Amino acid sequence: MAGDPAVGMIEVQGVAAAIVGADAACKAADVKLAGWSSIGGYTTAFFTGSISDVAAALRSGEEAARGVIEHVVAVPLLQPAAACSHFVDFPVRDDSDFPAGALGLVETRGYGAHIHTNDQMVKTAAVEVVNVLTVHDRVVCSLILGDVGGVTEAIAVAQKLLADCEHLLGTALIPQPRPEVLAAYAVPMGGGGV
Amino acid sequence: MSSGAIGMLETRGMASLMASTDAMLKAAEVRLCGRHGIGSGWLTAVIAGQVADVEAAISVGEVEANRTGELIGAQVVPRPDARATDAMPHATGLGAEEVQPRAIGLLETQGLTPLVAGADAMLKAAQVELGGWAFIGGALCHAPIFGDVAAVQTALEVGRQAAERIGTVYATLVLPQPSEGLGPLLPPAPAGLTRSTGALGLIETIGYASVVGSADAMLKAADVQVERLSIGSGGRITALATGHLDDVHAAVRAGAETATALGELDASAVVSRPDPALVARFATAAEGLGSGARQAMGLIETRSTVALVRAVDRMLKAAAVEYEGGYKVGYYLTAAVVRGDVGAVQVAIDAGREEAVEHGELVSAYAIPQLYSGLEGRLPHV
Repeated sequence: MAGDPAVGMIEVQGVAAAIVGADAACKAADVKLAGWSSIGGYTTAFFTGSISDVAAALRSGEEAARGVIEHVVAVPLLQPAAACSHFVDFPVRDDSDFPAGALGLVETRGYGAHIHTNDQMVKTAAVEVVNVLTVHDRVVCSLILGDVGGVTEAIAVAQKLLADCEHLLGTALIPQPRPEVLAAYAVPMGGGGV
Repeated sequence: MSSGAIGMLETRGMASLMASTDAMLKAAEVRLCGRHGIGSGWLTAVIAGQVADVEAAISVGEVEANRTGELIGAQVVPRPDARATDAMPHATGLGAEEVQPRAIGLLETQGLTPLVAGADAMLKAAQVELGGWAFIGGALCHAPIFGDVAAVQTALEVGRQAAERIGTVYATLVLPQPSEGLGPLLPPAPAGLTRSTGALGLIETIGYASVVGSADAMLKAADVQVERLSIGSGGRITALATGHLDDVHAAVRAGAETATALGELDASAVVSRPDPALVARFATAAEGLGSGARQAMGLIETRSTVALVRAVDRMLKAAAVEYEGGYKVGYYLTAAVVRGDVGAVQVAIDAGREEAVEHGELVSAYAIPQLYSGLEGRLPHV
């Protein structure tokens, strides 16, 4: 982040909307995903680029994230001080090799529901659970990969299973996710819980 | 695809999880194969076995969880698919100590101060041994004791009363004959030095910025040693100081005043003649880190990463200060520390405060003109 003309930040409750926002931002303009951070159940995606690219990416990212969750903070930082890069908890790791396809997101409060839902999703459709993110304040998000049809079907299964679950926060489908988005969010980091 | 089944039970609080897991392990041929905490005290135990065993165990566990606390949910997944379960994080973090065939007592409180006061009372009340301690989010923390059933019962009752005088007790639990497989639920015991000291003083605040200010005030007010700033949960963090009883009393008074002035004081306590094991568990100094810079210190703390990043950026541009480090209190509040000359830090803090207020919720922002030298190198933000 140090030396980049601008940084874009998208902050939302949970992580699903931030992933959707980060993907849309990276597709909208020539920006580079730097990574993400979490605090108190909120997560922030960081990306860098020229001032105009970051502005365009923020607009698209904010709009896409609003499709998942109502309240989205999307703010730029111009000529960021070098120390700002310390606040990226999970930088994007390079050289990640991910298959093309689609990314599905299922976000709830509570962990238990994910065991059953994930099991049913992989048994119903040709998808794989690649990561389960715990971002505190009880927010848990499962990430599944497959082709668009498979992920669509899996998300439908999850929605049906969780229809009566008061703790369902949201679901999302990203066709053709950017590889850097997968590298940032879809690699299990181990732990994350308390 | 495995032939058996897995079952999961999710509760709020460790006492409830431990009681229901113990009941599950005793009810049927199942083993504990994982646990996962997701903040705010929500914990999940995952068990495995044959379908009928897991079903029987889960139904017993549900009843026990409801009886001892709050059940969030329970489920049985027959023939779980590895493509679903392999990426799930509950299998990590296992492998704590073995469970001896002795009774377990568990004291669970809101915040660390009542837990320390309660643990001290337990150690003094009966022949029991103190295990480790852990936070599970939402400011909930717990500590187990081990011993004979009668000793554990006596100690726990005394400990509960002592803790209630300081703060809130969330739950207590006595397991007379704990199941051997409970080990993964027990917090590891920190290998601290057992030593005697006149008194132990605690100041628990909401936020890192105010605990640093309080620790500084404690050290300046009396001849005490700040042993550690303990990790916190739900935004709460505790400074622990040792010294002679009179000094610790004076230090805790000064620390409490400062905490109230800077932010929010959650609890304070003075434990006289603490058990040496208590000092080992709770007041063993963290690794010496820190810059050793003898400059003014500026602290700013928010609830939002965006607000903090904007504030730090603004501070570094507003005055000749350097970023020293950041600290998150229990994944709930996020703080940053800058160093520089008194004037520069003051200018930077004013600018940072303005920026943080504009972009998110500001918890606190202030400058310490000269940090007490005893604190240099002890603060965990570097």
